Amino acid sequence: MSMNPSVPKINLSNVYKKFNTDLQNAHPVLGDVSLHIVENEFVVLLGRSGCGKTTLLNIIAGLEIASSGIVQVDGVDVMGPGRGKGMVFQQGALFPWLNAEQNIQFAARKQGLNVEQSKELSQKLLLLVGLAGAEKKYPFELSGGMQQRVAIARALALDPQILLMDEPFGALDELTRIEMQNELLRVWSLQQKTVVFVTHSIWEGLMLADRIIVLAPRPGRIVLEKKIDRQRPRKRSDRLLIELYEEIWNALQ
Amino acid sequence: MNDFHFQSMFKKINLYGLMGILILLMVWELSARWIWQDIQVLPSPIQCMDMAWQVLTVQELLMHIATSLSRILIGFTFAAVIGVGLGIAVGWYQYLGLAFKPILELLRPIPPLAWIPMAIVWFGLGESSKWFVIFLGSFFPIFTNAWRGMVGIPPVILRAAQTMDVKGFELLLKVAIPAALPDIATGLRVAFGLAFGILVAAELIASDSGLGYLIMQSRETSRLGVAIFGILLIGLLSMLADGILARLLKKFVSRGRY
Amino acid sequence: MNNKIKSWLIPLIALTVFLLSWELASFMVYLRPTRFPAPSKLLLSFLDLTFSGYPAGVTIDQHLLKTIERIIIGFLLSVSLGVPLGLLIGGFHALDRLTSTIIAFCRSVATLSLLPLAIVWFGTGEQAKIFLITYGCFWVMLSNVIEAVKQVDPVMMNAAKTMDTDGIELFLKVVLPSALPRVFAGMRISLGVGFMVIVGAEMIGTVIGLGSLIMEARTFYRTDITMVGMLILGLMGFLMTSGLAWLEKKLMPWQQQEHNRTSA
Repeated sequence: MSMNPSVPKINLSNVYKKFNTDLQNAHPVLGDVSLHIVENEFVVLLGRSGCGKTTLLNIIAGLEIASSGIVQVDGVDVMGPGRGKGMVFQQGALFPWLNAEQNIQFAARKQGLNVEQSKELSQKLLLLVGLAGAEKKYPFELSGGMQQRVAIARALALDPQILLMDEPFGALDELTRIEMQNELLRVWSLQQKTVVFVTHSIWEGLMLADRIIVLAPRPGRIVLEKKIDRQRPRKRSDRLLIELYEEIWNALQ
Repeated sequence: MNDFHFQSMFKKINLYGLMGILILLMVWELSARWIWQDIQVLPSPIQCMDMAWQVLTVQELLMHIATSLSRILIGFTFAAVIGVGLGIAVGWYQYLGLAFKPILELLRPIPPLAWIPMAIVWFGLGESSKWFVIFLGSFFPIFTNAWRGMVGIPPVILRAAQTMDVKGFELLLKVAIPAALPDIATGLRVAFGLAFGILVAAELIASDSGLGYLIMQSRETSRLGVAIFGILLIGLLSMLADGILARLLKKFVSRGRY
Repeated sequence: MNNKIKSWLIPLIALTVFLLSWELASFMVYLRPTRFPAPSKLLLSFLDLTFSGYPAGVTIDQHLLKTIERIIIGFLLSVSLGVPLGLLIGGFHALDRLTSTIIAFCRSVATLSLLPLAIVWFGTGEQAKIFLITYGCFWVMLSNVIEAVKQVDPVMMNAAKTMDTDGIELFLKVVLPSALPRVFAGMRISLGVGFMVIVGAEMIGTVIGLGSLIMEARTFYRTDITMVGMLILGLMGFLMTSGLAWLEKKLMPWQQQEHNRTSA
């Protein structure tokens, strides 16, 4: 919970990021990005490859450090990864030597739960993501969609303040992708969390977000910010969404 | 950003690696002189060079090097030509593959050095027995990799070519072989590295010339320093040769990134 | 004839043709029995070796066991030295940079070239041979373990970091299990190297061991024994690789091991 309702959950002010390996006069990956994210808000970062959206996410996560600017969660500067910043990656983050249950238990144990409690929690979470019965399966025995469900369950086992998702459905086929989007919304409605979701799919953003932040590269910056005041689940035929699509599409050119 | 340039330059020459070697040499030198102090058992690097200098003339050394290298080159080249050729043929024509497989699978696990006695029986103690053993040792990795390379070509590539009216021999030459090239190159590199080891062993066991013989000889004349010198020389030559081969293959093979 | 039958019939026919032609060829005038013993003779020699042995009294299984013993000891030594050291070097970037050239060089040194040195240091007994095997296996093991650590998927490490896992815990619980398949591959290659080294090492000196058997037999024109020895070596090598591969599959079912293409 936020300590003070007026303090944003995530505060990014004038975040600037340049890689050491870049040439002197190249554009920075992120040039002056400012963003406030409110508690339990579902924010989507949208843009082409190279616009810095993943870097921004990594900076929030604490996996990378901004060259300058303020990066805070709950009013406290972000010092490193972990500590309540759960993250789901596009691929390959599940531990292949542990089965589904054990992967989730890994996170649960880190929260201080003992063996029984963590087992209970992992079963609960597997049920939540629709994988009851798959506890003993290893990642290589699961389909892409199922692996991502386990990844989400594992991140949730941390009981995180915020959930960061880096194109989590990018490696899935279209149909599974849509299914997973609905699953995510369902889970999110049951477990209120602040979510920052990175994608390059405009429709995915429109289906999921409370607010869409559109970024452009060279230098990485915010070019458009749109609130979506629509109940979920949303329809593609919705006129508001189609208009937003056009607007975002134009902003990306 | 001056330190950026420094860093990348350091990395290129791997100055740290060189530093590591220098430290090692120093440790060796000092411990040999102060701790062991027995030139018969562990001469220091400088003492080794000294012994070698006394015993060998530059001409002799070059002759031994040339002999060893020529043996490797001949054996390896034969193995490369036959191995690549056979590997490609066997990988492309399935029935050939099935026919050859059992014999080759039978012979493959036999360690190359185990062929030395038979090589002597069939070819005597001369050059050809060395060529034979090196050939055998190099042949299998080259052949196996070429075969696997051919078999492992993604079928999409062949299908795509076929939709462009490419077939038969043209398909093999213009599409299949280039696609298998990286694996073939790997086989060649691995085999070349092995060839050095095989050669040295063969020269130790049954030869009267070459670097292996030189090392063996020095033991009899209890000039260990020469042996160590020879050992290090072989190591260096092997590394250099591999580097050159790698460069050559890179030029030839990855003209387009795979 | 459908494909399945063809897949074992053709190899079978090919093998039979090969053996028959070999048998017939060895009867021909210019292929003297010493140069090309027939498969039938090999079979007889094998039985002879099993029961009366060569040289007198040393049966084939004694030779075999001796060779295996030497390989295993050298191999185990190299693993116990190479794995911890490799983990250490792989884990610290600075160490890796410092040692990479040395390791690459030591790997290039032809192991058997050290034989004269080994004899001076350890005499002509078992120790010299085991030293050689350990040397050969060690460098291969070391470089593979280092690679194994360096190759751990950074995405997985990031994921672990987001779960408050760092430092030693990260190393033990994530890096190590991740690197395990590659370490096993290194063991397989290393064992293969040891196998090759011992054959050469045994050709100088000893009277017992498959390598020495092969060499010794030739001196007395018993090329049939030499060939039997070679085939047994081949079989042994094949079993070793398959055995390890089977073990790998059992322990790490999640790893789709690409059958190793390189052998050094």
